[in-house]
Amino acid sequence: MLRLVLQLAVIFIAARLGGFVFSRWLKIPSVLGELCSGLLIGPYALGGMNIRGLGTLFPGTGDVLAVSPELYGFATIASILLLFLSGLESDLTLFARYSTVGIAVGVGGVIVSFIGGAWAAVLFRVAPSFSSPAALFLGVVSTATSVGITARILADKRKMDSPEGVTILAAAVLDDVLGIVLLAVVVAISRIQTAGGHVDWGDVGRICAKAVGFWIVFTAIGLLSARRITSVLKRLRSMEIITSIAFGLALLMAGLMEMAGLALIIGAYVTGLALSRTDVAHAIQNQLHGMYNMLVPVFFCVMGMLVNFAELKPVILFGLVYSIIAVAAKLIGCGLPAFLMNFNRLGAKRIGLGMVPRGEVALIVAGIGLSTGSIQHDVFGAAVMMTLLTTLLAPPLLAHSFDHRSGVRHRAEPSMEEIKTISLDFPSTDIASFMFSRLAQTFRNEEFFVYRLGPDVQTYQIRKDDMVFTLTQEGDSVQLSAPAKYEHVARFILLEELLTMQDLAKSFERMHNLDGMKSDLLKGVFDADE
Amino acid sequence: MNLRKVLSVDTIALDLKSDTKDGIIEEMIDLLMAAGKIRDLKDKKEALRVVLERERKMSTGMQNGIAIPHGKTDRVDNLVAAVALKKSGVDFGSLDGQPSRIFVMTLSPDTRTGPHIQFLAEISRQLNDPAVRDRILQAERPEDVLDILSS
Repeated sequence: MLRLVLQLAVIFIAARLGGFVFSRWLKIPSVLGELCSGLLIGPYALGGMNIRGLGTLFPGTGDVLAVSPELYGFATIASILLLFLSGLESDLTLFARYSTVGIAVGVGGVIVSFIGGAWAAVLFRVAPSFSSPAALFLGVVSTATSVGITARILADKRKMDSPEGVTILAAAVLDDVLGIVLLAVVVAISRIQTAGGHVDWGDVGRICAKAVGFWIVFTAIGLLSARRITSVLKRLRSMEIITSIAFGLALLMAGLMEMAGLALIIGAYVTGLALSRTDVAHAIQNQLHGMYNMLVPVFFCVMGMLVNFAELKPVILFGLVYSIIAVAAKLIGCGLPAFLMNFNRLGAKRIGLGMVPRGEVALIVAGIGLSTGSIQHDVFGAAVMMTLLTTLLAPPLLAHSFDHRSGVRHRAEPSMEEIKTISLDFPSTDIASFMFSRLAQTFRNEEFFVYRLGPDVQTYQIRKDDMVFTLTQEGDSVQLSAPAKYEHVARFILLEELLTMQDLAKSFERMHNLDGMKSDLLKGVFDADE
Repeated sequence: MNLRKVLSVDTIALDLKSDTKDGIIEEMIDLLMAAGKIRDLKDKKEALRVVLERERKMSTGMQNGIAIPHGKTDRVDNLVAAVALKKSGVDFGSLDGQPSRIFVMTLSPDTRTGPHIQFLAEISRQLNDPAVRDRILQAERPEDVLDILSS
């Protein structure tokens, strides 16, 4: 236990510092910093060195899984948390609205990525055949987009509500689902093969039916019962307790899914997805934020630690090609359907690029492969390399591709409509940020769902039914973007809030006891005689 | 948004008597009171105060003869609304200087949430259509106004 405590101490500090260096100084997503810290401090690098008098911090286990089961346990809990949150953040309403183009882009990306990944493995003789565990795992690893990084860029560029933005976010919902179902299938097939059994097409069909069946049944039960469950939970009148119970349910479902021969993260994701439609979804996300900040860097760091450099050397070329294929697969698989459905070449490129980053799901899948013996260090290393490269490459390319030009063709569908931005300039940043939070509250009072896109992003997304507004603050200006169809609602709300603000300012001026209040504050504080 | 949930024939008046802004507002509040949407004289006084207070900050007379006087007060439990016409028009201090002829009044609770501003926005948007305005001004019965607005 002493060693675990010391290991965690180093991991917490190193992961966070790595993330800090990457995001602040190198302007690269912080998860890469956490992953690279892991590479650096892991048993195959600094952590494996024998420090005189202290011994080795990460001694290696002699097993494929180079960290202790206890430490891997932390990473597993973090992966359950990650997938629970990713289910919870899914926007099924948005998905339903843009389902046609979302399905086309999501399915296209998954199919091309899966085939591309598995094909590359066979081509480079990393896997003996298309249906071998290594090829299947490399296929699944390259399917799941990590939309968090893309969402961040869309928010920065104020393109969250753009046709490309909503298409990416809708497609990412399906992408997650498909990636996770594929994982279930691949895990089941690999289990049989690793145990020495032979898998025929009948088995594949049976396994697929089971995975999809479980998925549909549990998601349906979850969605149908979630509101009832949360309304009972709300009687506890404490978001802390509700959050703990909800996370407990996610762990329970994760366990049940694993027992059913699927995978832990599937249960976590399904639970999150079921709760995403309830009104406590956002509050649970907020409550879990602290735990997320603590545990998730541990996950990325531990994944980095599992990379065995010696085994990686022979497959570096493969890793590069695999990464390039992973980028191309999303560009083609997501871009082409988008191009065929109302987007022009630029729009299709933006959507393709937005789907390129792979992250937590890819690493979790690779980790499952490694821990079950379905894949070896070389394949795992290639998977980590691909995650690193796609997450590194996509953000600057995506940010660069968003300029003033439109990404849709002229004959735009009514749903892909124009966005109007109303900008208000205030005399100071303080007043602007006051107005910014007041407006968020006004929208809440009008019964909109208001949520902040991130703790350090001055952007709120505001929704009700099919109305989606974006509220941002930049220095002393506040901007509200609204679809042209609902511009009037945005303008009315801004006007009423401005009038209230004017009243507030006047009543503050009129406070007749203001002078008294000021001098009272200091009276007697600095009057000490000797 | 379903207007019929908020509006009813007894909160629609086709022919206001008053010739002044304050008079129009008072008449519409009386209409709400007659329909049972405002409980008593004390509540009425408070409703009048908040609506006039809001007008003082900025006139709700918009373009094309539409005005939307409104206020927030906890004397009402839910959003209440009235629609009234003054076909000859009244000076409401509107944005375009035109006399106002179609009035939509709302009172909404101050401390309870609900789509209050959204209601005003939606109904104003409907009235932005000249054909809708003409049909309302030619309405013969309150039911007609209700039909036009909720179609």
